[in-house]
This record gives sequence, C-alpha cells and structure tokens, in this order.
Amino acid sequence: MSIYDTEGQDFSRRLVLLGGLQGGLFLVLAGRLQFLQVARSDVYATLAEANRVNISQISAVRGRITDRFGELLAGNDRNLQIRMVPERVANMDATLNDLTRLLKLSRSELHDIRSKIRRQPSFKPIVILEDLSWDEFARLNLNLPYLSGVEPLVGQKRIYPHAQSVAHLVGFVGTKTREDLQRVDDIVGDYVGRSGIERDFERDLRGTPGVRHVEVNAIGRTVRELQSEPGEKGRDLALSIDLDLQNFAAQRLNGHSGSAMVMDIHNGEMVAMVSSPSFDLNKLSRGIEVEEWERLIDHERKPLVNKAIRGLYAPGSTFKMLVALAALEEKLIDPEEKISCSGVYKFAREEFHCWAADGHGPVNMVDALERSCDTYFYDLALRVGIDRIEAMAQRFGFGKLTGINLDGEKSGTVPGRDWKRANYDTGWRTGETIITAIGQGYLLATPLQLAVMTAALANGGKLVKPRITKAGDAVEPVAELGLKPENMAVVQRGMYRSVNRPDGTAYASSLLIDGARMSGKTGTVQVRRISKDERLNGVIPNSKLDWHLRDHSLFVGYVPHNNPRFAVSVVIEHGGGGAQVAAPIARDIMVQLMNNKAITKAPKLVMQDKPGMNS
Amino acid sequence: MSYQSRSGRMGQLVSIGTLNMPMISMTLILGLIGVMVLYSVAGGDFSPWAWRHATRLALGLILMYVIANLDLRTIFNFAYPIYAGIFILLIAVEIFGDTGMGAQRWLDLGFVTLQPSEFMRFALIMALARYYHTLHRDDVSRPTGLLAPIALIGLPALLVFAQPDLGTALMLAISGLGVVFLAGVSMRFFIAGIALAIAAVPVVWNYLFEYQKERVLVFLDPERDPLGAGYHIIQSKIGIGSGGFFGKGLAQGTQSQLKFLPERHTDFVFAIYAEELGFVGSLLLIFLFAVLIFLMFNIASQMRHRFSQLTISGFAFALSIYVIVNLAMVMGLAPVVGVPLPFISYGGTSLLAFMVGLGIILAMERQPMADLPK
Repeated sequence: MSIYDTEGQDFSRRLVLLGGLQGGLFLVLAGRLQFLQVARSDVYATLAEANRVNISQISAVRGRITDRFGELLAGNDRNLQIRMVPERVANMDATLNDLTRLLKLSRSELHDIRSKIRRQPSFKPIVILEDLSWDEFARLNLNLPYLSGVEPLVGQKRIYPHAQSVAHLVGFVGTKTREDLQRVDDIVGDYVGRSGIERDFERDLRGTPGVRHVEVNAIGRTVRELQSEPGEKGRDLALSIDLDLQNFAAQRLNGHSGSAMVMDIHNGEMVAMVSSPSFDLNKLSRGIEVEEWERLIDHERKPLVNKAIRGLYAPGSTFKMLVALAALEEKLIDPEEKISCSGVYKFAREEFHCWAADGHGPVNMVDALERSCDTYFYDLALRVGIDRIEAMAQRFGFGKLTGINLDGEKSGTVPGRDWKRANYDTGWRTGETIITAIGQGYLLATPLQLAVMTAALANGGKLVKPRITKAGDAVEPVAELGLKPENMAVVQRGMYRSVNRPDGTAYASSLLIDGARMSGKTGTVQVRRISKDERLNGVIPNSKLDWHLRDHSLFVGYVPHNNPRFAVSVVIEHGGGGAQVAAPIARDIMVQLMNNKAITKAPKLVMQDKPGMNS
Repeated sequence: MSYQSRSGRMGQLVSIGTLNMPMISMTLILGLIGVMVLYSVAGGDFSPWAWRHATRLALGLILMYVIANLDLRTIFNFAYPIYAGIFILLIAVEIFGDTGMGAQRWLDLGFVTLQPSEFMRFALIMALARYYHTLHRDDVSRPTGLLAPIALIGLPALLVFAQPDLGTALMLAISGLGVVFLAGVSMRFFIAGIALAIAAVPVVWNYLFEYQKERVLVFLDPERDPLGAGYHIIQSKIGIGSGGFFGKGLAQGTQSQLKFLPERHTDFVFAIYAEELGFVGSLLLIFLFAVLIFLMFNIASQMRHRFSQLTISGFAFALSIYVIVNLAMVMGLAPVVGVPLPFISYGGTSLLAFMVGLGIILAMERQPMADLPK
C-alpha cells in the first residue's frame, strides 16, 4: 500500500498544481473582463453606437427666387423618381427588362442605369430614373408587386418658369458632386448653385438639412428610425427686378447681342437686367450634352456671359458728360462759349473727325451734348487734360467694381499717364486725350457702370451701389460726389435736349407722359479703323459690314426728366449707331416701365415717334 | 453513506438522490444559461436555437443518468474498445465526412450528424487513465512507458489536424497531455516537451493552412483585416466592452441583435452574454464554471482508483481548457481557433459529449470501491 500512498500524494500534488494553473488563468480572464467591461467600457460603448446608428440627412427644400412682386423665378417641383436597392432585386436582368418594357427605356438609358448600379454598394438605394411623367409613374406603381427592390419616390427638382429672360441673373443649379462638399451637413447628390444668384446666394437658399438617425444592422439595412429632425427650408429671395419689365426687355433684345438694364437711381435696385442672347436654365440644371455645352461656350455672341456686368465696351459719346463736368468743375470753360465745328479737328498734324462730316458750326456745351458734337469735345479735351478726365471718370465709378451683389462683374479701364506707363511703358500722348474725350481709345466700361454713372448724373451727383435684391428698409449710404448743382444742370440740359429737341441725336426715341420725358445720350463706338480713302469715298454704312465689324450701339438715359427716378443703360454689340438701335430699345423699355403703375404710379403715357436722326 | 447503499442492487436503477447533486445542479444551471442566451440571440425567440438546446439538455440529463448507472468495471473494460471505435469513426470522417466550414468534421449518420472528434477527447482521457491504471509506477517516467500515451494522443490528434481542425486537434492533445501530467510523468519530459514545441513553431508554421496562418496573424493585429478575419475579434470586443458593468439587458445587445457579431450562437456566444448581462453576469458565469471544475477536481481527489482519479481530473482539465480557450479567444486574448463554450454554445455534439463525460464521473463517484483489475 506504500506505493499506492505515494502515488496518491503525487496525484494530489499534481492536481493542486494543475488546479492552481487553471485558477490563475481564470483570474487572467476576469482581469481581462474588468479591462473590457469596466475600464474601457466607454470606448466600446461608443464603438457599438457607431456600429448601430447611421445618420442620414434629409435635403432641405431650397429657397425660392422671385421677382420684386413675388413672381416665381426659381422654384421647386415634384420630381417623380425610381429608386432601387440592388441587393433586394431578385433578378436584376429580369427587373431591368421589365422596366425597359414599362417605361420604354432607350439603350443608352439602360446603359446609364447599369453603370450607376455598378458604381455603388448594392445595399445603398440609388435613383435610377427621374423626371418621370405621371403616366409612367402610375404604370410603375401598378407593377410594383412584380419588381422587388424597386421603389417609387417623389423627390424635388429645381424649375425655372422664365428660363430664358432671367437666365444670367438667377443662374442654374447642378447636382452636388463630391468636390462640392465643404460642410459637414452637405449632402451628396443635393443641388448646389452653379451660377448667378443660385451660386452667389447659396448660403441663404440651401437651408439646413434635416437629420435622420436610423438603426442599421451589420450589412447596413435600416432596422428602424430612431429620431428625426426635419430640416429648415432655405430662405426665399426676392430680387429687385420686375419680371414683366425683364421679360419685355429680353424680348426687345431678341436677335441682338448685348444688354439692357433699368436701375432705381436712389436705392440702386436693378428693376431689369437683361443679357442677350440667353440660354435655358431648365436645360442646364438638368445637365446637357457635352456638344451642346461646347456650342454655348464657343458661340460667337457668348450666350453664357452676363454682358451687363461682364461685357467691356468703350463708352463712346455717353462719356462726354463726364468730360463736360470735368471742365465745368475746374471752370476751364464757360458753358455758353461756342466752339466751331467744321467736321475735322486738326491737332499736331493729325486729323480728328466729327461724326458729322460737314460739321456742326459754332456750338456751346449744351448744343454739343444735344448733337453729340465730337469737335467741341476734342477742343475741350485739350483744355481739361487727361488727368482731370481720368479723375472725373474714377469719381463716377469707372475702373472699379460697382459692388453689385452679383459675382463676376468686371471693373474696366480708366486710362491715364500712370496707367499708360505701367501697361505700355510709354508716355501719354495728347492725341490720346482727344479720343478719350469722346469715350474711345483705351477707355472701357461695363453697361452697369454706365447705368451707375447715369444714375449719378440724374440724382444730382450721388454714386449709388447697384443691387439685384430688393432694397428693403435699410438703404445703403451713397457716396456724394460733391459736384456743383449748376454744373450738373448744364449736363442734364444737354441730355434732355439730346432726346427731346429735333436736333438731338435721340429725338426719334423721345417719349412723353403727362409732361414727363426721358433724358439721355447716345453712343456709337467704332470697332474698326476708318482709312483716309474710305473717308474720301464715303464711310461704308454699318448695314454693309460684317456683323463683327459694325459699330457698338449705346444709349444711357433716365426718366422722368424733371424728377428723375430710373436710369437706363443699353449696349448693343455691333448694333450700328446708338440712335438707330440702342435708343429705341431704351425708349421702349422706359415706356413699358412707365406703364407699370406698380412701379412708377405714373399714368398711362403717350409716346411720340419722330423721324430719326443720326448720332 | 456506505458503498452498498449508493451502488444499488443488480438490475435496479440507482436513486437520483444518491448522485452528486451539486455537480448535476451546476451542469443544469450552465445549460439553462445556454438556453437563455440562445433565446436572446434569436431576438427573444425559442426558435431556432434555444428550444433545441433545451431539448438536448434534457436528453443529455437522461443520458447522464443512464451512464451514471453503469458498472465501473464495464466502463473500465470498454475504455480501449470505445477509443478504438471512435478512432475508426475519425478515419471514417476523413473518408466520408461532410465538409462544413471548410473542414471535414461531421459524420452524417442519417438521423444525426456527429462530430467524432468531440467524443474522442473523452475516449482518449479514459484510455490514458486505464493505461496508467495498469502501468507500474516505476514505468511511468520511463521512455518506454511514454510510447503508448504518445501514440494514443498523437494518432487521433493528427487525424483531427488533417480534417483540418487545428483548434480541436490542439485541445485534444492538451487534454491528453493533462492526463499524462496528472499521472505523474516526470517534469523533465514536460520541460523538454515545451522546449521542443517552441522549437517546432517555425516548422509547424509552414504546414499551417493559409486561413490558419491568417487567424494567428490577425489575432496578433486584428486591425490588419478589420472587415475580414479581424472582424470577429473587433466586433466581439466591442460587444463585450459596450456591455459595461450591468449589461444592456437580455435581447437588448445591439451588437448581437443587429448581427454585427458573426457566429454569435456558437463560438462567440459569450460576447452576446457579456454584452447583455455585463461585467456582473460575466463574472458570475466564470465563477460558475470555476465551481463546476472545482467540484470535479474535488471528486477526483476523493477517488481511490487511479482510473477514476485520472478520468475525472482529466475531464475537469479538458472542460477548463475549453472554457479558458473559448473565453480568451472571444476576449481577444487568443487566436480564433473554433472552440465552443461548453454547455452554452449551440451545438449538439459538444453538449452531449460533455454530459456523457459528467455521467461517467457520476458513475465513478458512486463506485469508489469497485473491484478493478490492477
């Protein structure tokens, strides 16, 4: 039995040894448990929550854009869509065949759908078709029981009821791409403004997306909805324009390349702002073919460019008011002093021609403005000098941005000695002063700058900041230019007579409503050089030139002449003479404006049509 | 309590009251916890797992009782034949077995699919116990005395390894070596064996299947493949950790209910349990296992036959390493090797095998003085 006993002792010892080892390992496990479930519980709880809860966003309804009276310019419409969750589709080929049959899909549409499906994880819902008709949508709904994984969806799309006339102002939206995402709450696939107001006021329009917390399982399927915060609708935006006037102006510019605008000279509101030719916002918002896009980009008349703020033109004779003011303010000329015009002005062996080949005879300042005599201003230019002309142009806002709340405006050029030195590395020549005085040469301005200038001439010398949104109560302070009223009056008289006297260049475009008339000034800008031979044989009329060689046609003006309220600026590229093309357009727009009681509270006006004059 | 009163008369079943009630109770409690967790895993539903687990538990209890009635001499006499029979079954699996989860482990007998490797563990322990029972004490630590145990352990382990099922093969080998250790084989051999094992690591590494290598690598760094092989470990740790002190409540575990955890009703069942019942519940479960193992060791220490001593303590050791390896795996302390948690994990063979083992322990405890050949 002794053997048995030692064996027993030996066994007990080994048993204790093994038991101890196991006990130790159990303690290690308990320690690990403490680490996971007590010490680091928070970390794992967070991870479990992140596993469980999927935060998805609900698109906010985009704010509407209206005109000043609430007419819809950009809104939202029902967008009937078909969504698919590929992993829930029992038989993809059969389902796509059914859809093709039901909705008569084309081969390329089917191809697009297939590639969309391939690009996404199969549990993610994707919109495979949108903009369905109600018929198609109904047909789909009827057949839904046979289409597993396919669901109808009523979404939103952006619509533009006046897609052409306001295209450059309102702008269009596009689907957000990954590159557009800047904020945490940005949603892929949502709309984002791509141009115009839609882009510039993106912040206001987009609103705040809602958040939806859904519980998902391991493969990402939604198990249930936990909580939802509805988004906040984007802010509606009222533009300052009057849709009727805008549409009228757009129609009036139809067939032309250029821009026209009407501005409130006191608060800077743009009542109309049209650029022509235009494009279709609805098409661009939905995405157009590459070829069509390239056609728009390469078009000779640049339909995508808002010429009102981005077109740069020599102001031509519309600049003469500023040269006159520069002279008057410095008392360099008596406005009654007459300068004789023979049709040609000689300076330093160079000849400068007045537009009237036979000359105007002796003219004072008001005559010179009325009849747009070039010779008078050639002579005046030499007395004033480029420095004062440059300074006056800058005071009226040339050469810098007007500050309108629309992106992309250009600042233009005001030439001067320093500018010439910096850009051409040569000194200023006096001959250049002469052509600058009639608004040609290096001088460049946007039609909007011309409108702002005209407003300042009409409102007694206040430089107003233009705006495309309604002004509301807070009127922005304007820069008082500090010009003498009697000098302003001389220029205003010239502008009045230019439109309302038989000798005035724009007499054909005069109008009368209860004693209210339009004041203004034509401008014709040469874009080609006229040779000596041509002058001798007679200048070729615009109608016989290629389009791109014709003169630019300009007109600026304001109504009513005795109590100014609105300024107008019309620039027609290669339109011909300012009096023939731009002035009648400006008149028609002004007539339309004056007829609109809601804006002017003016009685119906009687329009006078007079035989034409050359500018 | 005399020997006579507990053995019962020939041809008459023993009274249940005479059996070791603490051990039976612990088994029942653990099995019922299994039913509860499987009910919870199914989202608060007895189907598909909890009901069948409960049925098997009941079947297992009956089996336990039937085996507890066996004469110890019968068990002793059948130790080698059972080992041989299961060894043949293992070979049959190798030839005819169904392939499940990439390994041949199952034998479809028509009415039930069996995993012979689960039963091999107990057959091996009994065979080794019987071998050491008859072996003279002086021969225990002789090299010649080691040949038979090495063959008894090595042959089935190699067969299981070839299925291929590294986890079960290792568990089988370690269970067997436990008996060898308890039998009193000189420590020198174990130290030499461990040294040899460490030296063999690079060699074995080359023979591992790609998925086995990957499992080890991912265990060392789960982030290596967070959506693939590392996913088990990461999600399991998230489940356990997010349970916190008191847990999320039965059927409230998001990791489980939302199916972030794979194999949550089998090998990873503890992650669900820990997520839903927290630190308190998990410690309780570990404690219950410790108590059961302690009870078994205690019974073993009271036995006078070497056969009973080694069988019972071998069973206890096997149970403990299953629990330890499974929990370590689920908590990210060991590689994922496919070891179920006894009594809790869903799986008929595993549950029945452990309960058969417990039945044998009951039978042995009932007959401490039985006349066994020396």
